[in-house]
Amino acid sequence: MPESPLDRELGQLLAYHDEPDSSEFVANVMHDVKRERLLRRVILWGFGLVGALFGLAGAAMLSDSITRLFTFSISLPAIETAQVALVVVAAAAFYSWFMNDEMSLGS
Amino acid sequence: MTISDSELVLRVTSSNDQVAFQQLVERHQAAIRGFLRRLAAGDCGTADDLAQETFLMAYRKLHTFKSSGSLLSWLHTIAYRQFLQHTRKHARQQVMAEPPDQGHDPRQSMDSEILAQRLLGFVSPEERACLTLAYSAGMSHPEIGKVTGFPLGTVKSHIQRGKQKLQRWLKDHDHSISKHKEAHGA
Repeated sequence: MPESPLDRELGQLLAYHDEPDSSEFVANVMHDVKRERLLRRVILWGFGLVGALFGLAGAAMLSDSITRLFTFSISLPAIETAQVALVVVAAAAFYSWFMNDEMSLGS
Repeated sequence: MTISDSELVLRVTSSNDQVAFQQLVERHQAAIRGFLRRLAAGDCGTADDLAQETFLMAYRKLHTFKSSGSLLSWLHTIAYRQFLQHTRKHARQQVMAEPPDQGHDPRQSMDSEILAQRLLGFVSPEERACLTLAYSAGMSHPEIGKVTGFPLGTVKSHIQRGKQKLQRWLKDHDHSISKHKEAHGA
């Protein structure tokens, strides 16, 4: 871009003259990145654990109904069965999507 | 063989490859730190803190980077926003807007880098950003517009005004690069 003598002079004057030492800076950035990853992992697993606990509590409260459902001692209409299956599949898909990042972080 | 930025970005976003991210930091840290040092008018501590924040933000947002653009321009955009955020927070401290003494000649006992930083103290922060991106980072006017968010006309007028101020200073002080180099035996 510089064309005129002034542009050339400014180009020389304003060029980056120093190359700052990189090793300490890069180490600091990577330290921050590791801390960030750890924080994300803690948050994901923390919320995952809370969700699992609530799920277990809910399952315990509904254990009788669930047992009857899986032993076919109650009969749900086809549409309701389809809805339940859809909810289970959606929940599983959401969980694997949500935890996918964490799974790759752990590898 | 040098791995391209796009390839390294892909490695970071697809498999959280820390080594790839480290390579990106090593590759671009000088440009980003240089840019922020100029914006911060030589306050290296603040500039390096902002540069560190810039790379951390880049790590968080890397999945939003479009591989069609230049990673360095994208990093400059984040750096400029970090700088603006910092100046808003610390407006009273006037970290970067401290006008130099008009009668003071920054050539005395200075190396070229400090001279450049002090000279940029004569222009406004917006002009400083545009001049640095144009003359130090070698960006085109449209690229500067993307980084700073200024319309193209505004970029051009900031550069023009900044150039006029620096030209005036150079004229007043009968300055030229060759004289400066001679004075310092460079």
